[in-house]
Amino acid sequence: MVFARFFTKCWVVALCAGTLSPAVAQVPKTIDFNRDVRPILSNNCFQCHGPDEKTRKARLRLDTPEGAATAIVPGQPDASELIIRITASPDDASRMPPAKTGKTLGPRDVAILQQWVQQGAKYAPHWAYVPPKPPVIPTTQFRTVNPIDAFLWARLEQEGLKPQPEADRYTLARRVALDLTGLPPTLEEAEAFVTDTAADAYEKFVDRQLAKPAFGEHWARLWLDLARYADSAGYADDPLRTIWKYRDYVIESFNANKPFDQFTIEQLAGDLLPQPTIEQLVATAFHRNTMTNSEGGTSDEEFRNVAVVDRVNTTFTVWMGTSIGCAQCHTHKYDPITQKEYFEVFAFFNNTADADRPDESPTLPFWSLRDFLRKMALEQQIAALEAELKGKKPEELKPQRDRLATLKKELAALKPATSVPIMKELVGPQRRKTRIQFRGNFLDLGDEVREGVPAVFHPFPEGMPKNRLGFARWLISRENPLTARVIANRFWEQIFGTGIVRTSEEFGIQGELPSHPELLDWLALDFQRDWNVKRFLKQLVMSAAYRQSAAVTAAQYERDPDNRLLARGPRVRLTAEMIRDQALFAAGLLSPKMLGPSVRPFQPSLGVSAAFGGSIDWKMSDGEDRYRRGIYTQWRRSNPYPSMSTFDAPNRDTCVVRRNRTNTPLQALVLMNDPVYVEAAQALAQKARTSTSTPDEAVVMIFRRCLIRPPSPEEQKRLVQLFTDARAAFQKAPAQAQQFAGNQPTSRDPATDAALTLVASVVLNLDEMVMKR
Amino acid sequence: MYNTMKRPTSERLLEATRRTFLGSSSLGLGALALSLLSPAPAPAARPSDNPLAPKKPPRRPTAKRVIYLHMSGAPPHLDIFDYKPELQKRDGQNCPAEYLQGKRFAFTSGVPKLLGTRQPFRRCGHAGIWMSDAVQPLHAVADDVTVIRSMKTDEFNHAPAELLLFTGFARQGRPSFGAWTCYGLGSENDNLPGFVVLISNGVQPSGGQGCWGSGFLPSVFQGVQCRSKGEPVLYLSDPPGLDRDLRRLGLDALKDLNEWQHQELGHPETRTRIAQYELAFRMQLSANEVMDISREPQKILDAYGAKPGAGSFANNCLLARRLIERGVRFVQLFDWGWDFHGTNPKEDIRDGLTQKGTITTQAVAALIKDLKSRGLLQDTLVIWGGEFGRTPFREGRTAGGSILGRDHYPDCFSLLLAGGGIKAGYTHGETDELGFKVTQDEVHVHDLQATLLHCLGFDHTQLTFRFQGRDYRLTDVHGKVVSAILQ
Repeated sequence: MVFARFFTKCWVVALCAGTLSPAVAQVPKTIDFNRDVRPILSNNCFQCHGPDEKTRKARLRLDTPEGAATAIVPGQPDASELIIRITASPDDASRMPPAKTGKTLGPRDVAILQQWVQQGAKYAPHWAYVPPKPPVIPTTQFRTVNPIDAFLWARLEQEGLKPQPEADRYTLARRVALDLTGLPPTLEEAEAFVTDTAADAYEKFVDRQLAKPAFGEHWARLWLDLARYADSAGYADDPLRTIWKYRDYVIESFNANKPFDQFTIEQLAGDLLPQPTIEQLVATAFHRNTMTNSEGGTSDEEFRNVAVVDRVNTTFTVWMGTSIGCAQCHTHKYDPITQKEYFEVFAFFNNTADADRPDESPTLPFWSLRDFLRKMALEQQIAALEAELKGKKPEELKPQRDRLATLKKELAALKPATSVPIMKELVGPQRRKTRIQFRGNFLDLGDEVREGVPAVFHPFPEGMPKNRLGFARWLISRENPLTARVIANRFWEQIFGTGIVRTSEEFGIQGELPSHPELLDWLALDFQRDWNVKRFLKQLVMSAAYRQSAAVTAAQYERDPDNRLLARGPRVRLTAEMIRDQALFAAGLLSPKMLGPSVRPFQPSLGVSAAFGGSIDWKMSDGEDRYRRGIYTQWRRSNPYPSMSTFDAPNRDTCVVRRNRTNTPLQALVLMNDPVYVEAAQALAQKARTSTSTPDEAVVMIFRRCLIRPPSPEEQKRLVQLFTDARAAFQKAPAQAQQFAGNQPTSRDPATDAALTLVASVVLNLDEMVMKR
Repeated sequence: MYNTMKRPTSERLLEATRRTFLGSSSLGLGALALSLLSPAPAPAARPSDNPLAPKKPPRRPTAKRVIYLHMSGAPPHLDIFDYKPELQKRDGQNCPAEYLQGKRFAFTSGVPKLLGTRQPFRRCGHAGIWMSDAVQPLHAVADDVTVIRSMKTDEFNHAPAELLLFTGFARQGRPSFGAWTCYGLGSENDNLPGFVVLISNGVQPSGGQGCWGSGFLPSVFQGVQCRSKGEPVLYLSDPPGLDRDLRRLGLDALKDLNEWQHQELGHPETRTRIAQYELAFRMQLSANEVMDISREPQKILDAYGAKPGAGSFANNCLLARRLIERGVRFVQLFDWGWDFHGTNPKEDIRDGLTQKGTITTQAVAALIKDLKSRGLLQDTLVIWGGEFGRTPFREGRTAGGSILGRDHYPDCFSLLLAGGGIKAGYTHGETDELGFKVTQDEVHVHDLQATLLHCLGFDHTQLTFRFQGRDYRLTDVHGKVVSAILQ
């Protein structure tokens, strides 16, 4: 509704402001169904005249040419009921859309529909459901590094724009290191790149970033958002859940550059592979990240069904970019997916052994070698004793009986070092039948259905088993028009800030159209070639488009505020994890320790408990575990780490494709006052004090540890002035100075330390610190 | 060539949120898109991209702000508002089978025993609203309130029921009522969050932070949890040793460097960040000021039962008034301890309820009177109630013991509303003689949401946000306005 109105007003504004490309205001000469017509019909008409026959009015459906035949006479707008109705006067009861829907068509919408009918009312399948075809790589007058540039520059030429020159090397070093590893480069590394005169200096620098273990720690974050990974089970009491082995699986998979098709199969159906490895079993925890409801009085079967629904919806969102959830309760209003088809997909996921149990079974235990050997030994001895006691009377062999009891007790006390919930397919009579659930109610059942995929998508591969494994292979099959596009677009979004399809979570009919359709197809086909993630990402950051300067004039900015056309380099806010990791890294506090159980860094006491559960405050981890990367922070759904959630980290109740990137005063409070950032400022000040001898040197050192580039003379002067002013003030209040500097035991000059701490805090709070540059 | 410039309001809004949350005076599309929420001419103030800038709703509102008092766990409405003499008569008898068929209960199976209330009931005020002595302080404000006795929900477990009540959907992931309100109306105070959450008795509601989350709305609209004890907002206090003058000194340098960054790169978001730091600096003062109740007159503190420094519900009620006085749009209170199963004496519908009810409703009544005396009640919605009702029979697990408790019940419950265009001195709806079914004027939680949005000036079907290709709203695909309870 708001959407519909926006369109019409947007048009008016465009005429007044004259800032948008002419294409917006004019009706195109040749109407393209997908580009021009479908959005109008989908937003305004399909709710009553779309795929869902239950709510269809007047037996008219406008989403297919057959359905629309009674309302449209191709070539004759004036004889077409559709056009007559939408152009009827507002007080005419026959006018469409009806006033009570709140939907209105603007003059441009009407003109487009008229012209469409005039030109023969040709329909076309939704673009995303048509397999990508190898596009012709366009030519361009601008310098290109790879075909990505050719597609982007050709569009810039059409728009009368031109690319920016390459950014300076310090900027590039920080940008690409942050994008690939989530951390800035070390100063030495950046310096080596800046002074490297080799022609392939940049490529070598990129390769070094791709090879760092930090790469996997950074890219896992995106996947964990999709996988709704958390260290707690959710719902009211939100008990802690042990599932960090899955997090480590994702990190290690990215670091090992596991092909994306293999990554897909392992997570969705690793347990169904022949003789699955431990790694492949751990991977199936992907779908054990659904929430478990252990609130008293809840039905396990109800919430098991909720978890299966989540698995279906998450799978379609992650791999197909299609929100299929609507079809759980009724046939989809926009995309041609019926409720029956929904439950056919549901059937694939409806036969695993987990059942909303508080103990999260089935789980895969991990034993320490010592305990494992002990366990084997105990089991053997117990078996031997039991064999010996078989058939004996209870009063006989007392010593053996006592020994047996002792051994059993010891065995029961042996616990695995850790465990991870996994998927396990039910067999034989345990298998569940799947029936349609009316209105999504698990007790209101209809006909039984069998595993299958919706007809609108590519067919299920011949000879493939109708189980999760077959389903996973269906997803990554060459015939699938969606998965490669969806994943390529998601990687693009991480690197360039906005997807080629901006609605990266929705490629269905209600999603937005791609800004560069041919480029997206080229990327999808390229990625699908070998599903090689590192190669694909390298290609993106090698492009000339990526390496551009991010500087922009006011006029250029107004022309394309979201940088969809990429006439400048990407500049967007860092994620919550990156902001925290970067500060700890700059201060020299960040621990390089990888993997393992989640950690609890400092968190302010909230003084509240989860409903029916324990306190959500935590005991801080010891030693370096306080300074681990954000990816290892314990993720409690009822209380995500507060400073990260302020920077838009989700609570991960459900699959999150696109995080927001807000800019709020609460973020300023975090960066100024959160003890983590205060400690980072103090540590930076200490480093500067102990290794420099003048205020200028100290300021430059702090600045460069944070931002890599040297400060401009103006910036340096301003920070030195801050230092001088602050030191004068702190000299008058030595106790305050000592406190703010962090009570450094070796300090001989607390006012200097405190003033440097303030300088460091200011640098850590700079806009440039929280942005790519 | 595809047109990339055209896109729904929701996308624009996300952009506006990060580019120019505050203070930009350039007239961008974002501002226009936002003003589309109000077809009436935009207010005379300078156009702004700030998503929290105050906005006029599409129609004339009767309420400008909301104080939602939620009793986590669900109060036993049959011992508070819904008087059932017939149930008292049949106390101890087997529950008739017709009420159990096809029903699921959280902790009861088999045939439970009917449980009549032990609380004395009386008609209160000129309107003669039925209330029990467990909420005796409310008797004095009976002529200012509406009691709905015909509420209905779909969920009988706490977490889903709370999510349904506050987000319109029984699972996580949707924006909350407060977030929708701020999305639609913005906030009247630049120095405080638009949506504040206060929790008493130390326990979060079962629905968790989802009850005040922003779902897929930009996170500026999510509730900010404030604390009545200690630092009122997380990270509000400057670090030890840094006084306000030194903070200012640092902020001045920060501003200069950020300005230069803006001059060099030309990104408006940098200007926004400068503004955010200035706002944070002001918020440090104003949040401390508003959360400090120690300067309230003693008679006000006494009326609420508030004590400076306590983390009590009474303190939170008083804070709610102070917050909305300063232009905060939505204040949501959660009070723990209303799950009257009868598993301990505090959960007994006799003395346990009388104690909990008296201390709680003293603050509720004081709030209503206080708002009224300040002329604020007329355009402030106040709601008091739980996420579902409780059974007319004894809870299964505790039926053998001496403590009287009731199980969860979704088919009927009661709610109290006041102010903001709601009728004063009115009872709405009825349940049958034993309290199992609504017999007249059923109000589903979606209807409640539709009605409250109506008071705030919105047609609930038109306040939408596009996400994953669909226009979502608070009432999902349901809800009708209950005009009978409106003035």
